[in-house]
Amino acid sequence: MTHARIGEIVVSRNPDEELVALGLGSCIGVAMTDAQAQVAGLVHVMLPDSGGARGPVGKFADTAVPELLTRVLGLGAARSRLRVAIAGGAAMFGSGGQLDIGARNAAAVRDALTAAGLRCHAEETGGTEGRTLRIQVGSGATTVRVAGGTSFDLLPAATGALAERRTA
Amino acid sequence: MTISLNDSQLDALRELANIASGGAAGALSQMLAREVDISVPRALALPIADAVEACGQPEQEVTAVMIGVAGDFGGNVLLLIPPDQSARLCRLLGVEPRTEVGDSALREIGNILGTSYLNGLAAMTGLDLVPCPPLLQIDLVGALVASLMAQVAGEDDLALVLDSELTIAGEHCAIGFMLLPTSGGIDRLLVPLGLGPAVS
Repeated sequence: MTHARIGEIVVSRNPDEELVALGLGSCIGVAMTDAQAQVAGLVHVMLPDSGGARGPVGKFADTAVPELLTRVLGLGAARSRLRVAIAGGAAMFGSGGQLDIGARNAAAVRDALTAAGLRCHAEETGGTEGRTLRIQVGSGATTVRVAGGTSFDLLPAATGALAERRTA
Repeated sequence: MTISLNDSQLDALRELANIASGGAAGALSQMLAREVDISVPRALALPIADAVEACGQPEQEVTAVMIGVAGDFGGNVLLLIPPDQSARLCRLLGVEPRTEVGDSALREIGNILGTSYLNGLAAMTGLDLVPCPPLLQIDLVGALVASLMAQVAGEDDLALVLDSELTIAGEHCAIGFMLLPTSGGIDRLLVPLGLGPAVS
């Protein structure tokens, strides 16, 4: 299991690997998977906009999304096969208004995905509860668990020969 | 803007936290009519990812009571209470845990601890510190702490955590208690002590 902590980007082409972002509150986990290439990546975004600041590229939505894309493509993922899912962006403590960083993060991540020419296939954002996001690299299965709840699929495991081989 | 804290600045912040949380422990002790012990505070200046982990296991569920600070200072006071401990605390107060009354009692504990803590800080630094009404949320440690840090984070990747643990004697009940200042807030604490600024 490899953790993407705040501001960190993790990528893998090890089919047995699991990528995890624990405790996403107002933060957003962005998952990119290509099950055929058995490549996946995950970034744990904290803030919407870098404003040109230097710092961990994974910390800000505008710098994190293009960097994650570059890294998964670098590991052999194909842009045409990429599936993208995002989770997080909650308003913890019910905070709203200008300080609703969760909503601003979600909007900034969507904008960055659009700017990168990517479609978001699944989204679990907003609300007031923390989440944990997990990706199985081999199958591309991406699940979310809401605090105190059970896991559910955000992106189901890829079907077909590759996925069957994985479970054999 | 970058923050850098040297050892004497961290020592001074730890001492501020020590005295202020001592006052908070006294207030809790009066409220519960029990002895309350307090651990030696930590003053941690860490990259944000490390700072979040220093506050607890990211996926552990806790009851958090958050008191925002207004006035001369930006930041939050945060109480983290593991679920079994919050139930015990509620029983000590004679209320049912996980009910509206139970949550209200925990918010009140947060209010009393936070206010005494801020009064202590204000007395030592001469700052005008105004506690906001307490907010309660039961959620994952990582989600709670990271979201508060996102509110106060600047472009620099360093966060300051002043934390200590309050233990209620004979009850195996421990409450994590911490101050998460903004980078501007750190200077507000240090300058009156003749040790600032840390932010340049």
